[in-house]
Amino acid sequence: MSALLRVRGARVRYGDREVLHGVDVDVAAGELLAVLGANGSGKSTLLRAAAGLTPCDGDVLVGDRPRGRLDVALVFQRIHLVARRSVLDNVCAGALGRLPLRSSLVPALFPRAVREEAMGCLERVGLAERAHDRAGSLSGGQQQRVAVARALCQRARVLLADEPVSALDPAAAEQVLGLLAELAHTERLAVLAVLHQPELAARHADRVLGLRAGTVALDGPPGTDVRALYPDRAPEPPTAAAPAAARLPENVP
Amino acid sequence: MTTTDVRRVAVPPRHRDRRTLALAAVVVTGLLVVHVIAWRTTEMSFATLVGGADGMAGFLSEAVPPDLSPEVLGPSLEGALVTLWIGLLGTTLSVPFALLGALAAARGTAPGPVTYQVARGLLSFLRAVPDVVFALVFVTAVGLGPFPGVLALLLHNVGVMGKLWAETIEDADPGPPTALRSAGAGRLQVATHALLPSVTPQLVGLLLYRFDVNVRSSLVLGLVGAGGIGFLINQSIQLFRFDEMATHLLVVLVLIVAVDRLSALVRRHLGSDA
Repeated sequence: MSALLRVRGARVRYGDREVLHGVDVDVAAGELLAVLGANGSGKSTLLRAAAGLTPCDGDVLVGDRPRGRLDVALVFQRIHLVARRSVLDNVCAGALGRLPLRSSLVPALFPRAVREEAMGCLERVGLAERAHDRAGSLSGGQQQRVAVARALCQRARVLLADEPVSALDPAAAEQVLGLLAELAHTERLAVLAVLHQPELAARHADRVLGLRAGTVALDGPPGTDVRALYPDRAPEPPTAAAPAAARLPENVP
Repeated sequence: MTTTDVRRVAVPPRHRDRRTLALAAVVVTGLLVVHVIAWRTTEMSFATLVGGADGMAGFLSEAVPPDLSPEVLGPSLEGALVTLWIGLLGTTLSVPFALLGALAAARGTAPGPVTYQVARGLLSFLRAVPDVVFALVFVTAVGLGPFPGVLALLLHNVGVMGKLWAETIEDADPGPPTALRSAGAGRLQVATHALLPSVTPQLVGLLLYRFDVNVRSSLVLGLVGAGGIGFLINQSIQLFRFDEMATHLLVVLVLIVAVDRLSALVRRHLGSDA
């Protein structure tokens, strides 16, 4: 499987301190890569470097070309929807980068095609019926799904998710990560998700990348023992055999 | 163990830094000194106040009861309405200018550092010149009446509201703008799709507060010839018709309370809606 997102020799310095020491990462189209590691290991720095939010030495390629402005879509831990705007307007905002100002200055100017595409994205995340609700009226899990729909509306082939489920309850976390995995597989997206939950990675990721002190400490299948990444605590090793459905609570909203 | 069993622990003495105490003493002394200077410079005197009690009593005896005849009350209500319209137009007409000024004077939405500094300077100037000074200038330029009052309030309000709005925009949650910037949105798109909708309740709340202030200010502008009930109050004082003046003041009281209640009601609704 050839990589869609390629990070080569990523080095990031904060002042005099180098926090990422020449990391290489590949994510293929149709793959969900979970990046694990303890606090301060460089997970979020890697994601920010891949997204272009943090200056880094090294290359970030999407396909065969350096990452372009709209090649990468982001999903944030704190979701960052505009709470007072409708769900549909929030999703349409994902298309702002490719719309001229005259058809995007205010939501009322969005072309019908963009609105219909946004509705398609909302349908994809199972929230089409909430299109005209205020984003702030949705639950945390639903808001994160709207944020995923916004990322889809950007039409990027690479989706970077920075701790997308850290602020969610377990049921919503399962659902959002399951959604990201499904989108990776069906939409052929390259998804890189920074996670703090090895058990979620074991259930939903196609591959696990472990960072420790700014370097890649492991790269393997979802069942890989990740205890070495967490020197201060010894979590139960996740098992790849644990099926997601077996742990899903009933009646997940 | 129940809560009653909790062991008591002596509170450790609070460490007070000598420098902090000395600084506090200097600040308190300084404040006392400037207040003494202010007291002397403004010729504050309780004796004078007590000595003027007779004059005040005479004034009150002429003002009470107020003249509530239709000949006085009718023009008074008309004047109050004019004052309300001056305040309303002075506020609403300033909105587009204040919004542009705020966007230019807020970090994150300003197109560049030069525009930011120029916008800040302009807003500071408009804020620094009192509306009554603007009113005197416009009365000289375009004559007596409500029109110069509207112009004066408009200019001053652009300065005040532009500054307040700029600070509100700067304090907005940076999350949604970051998300839209990462999706490729430009500066103006970020402002209209993330920043402004996030702070709309605060902006509208400040607008209503300024409307409230402007209605009261337009009363003062009337005293210098800019129309409205302030103009009538000035006339009554000059003609020594304190009973008429008392009527105007009662009408003003009703107007101000009504505007204040309405403004508070809308702001409360916005707050619960946020």
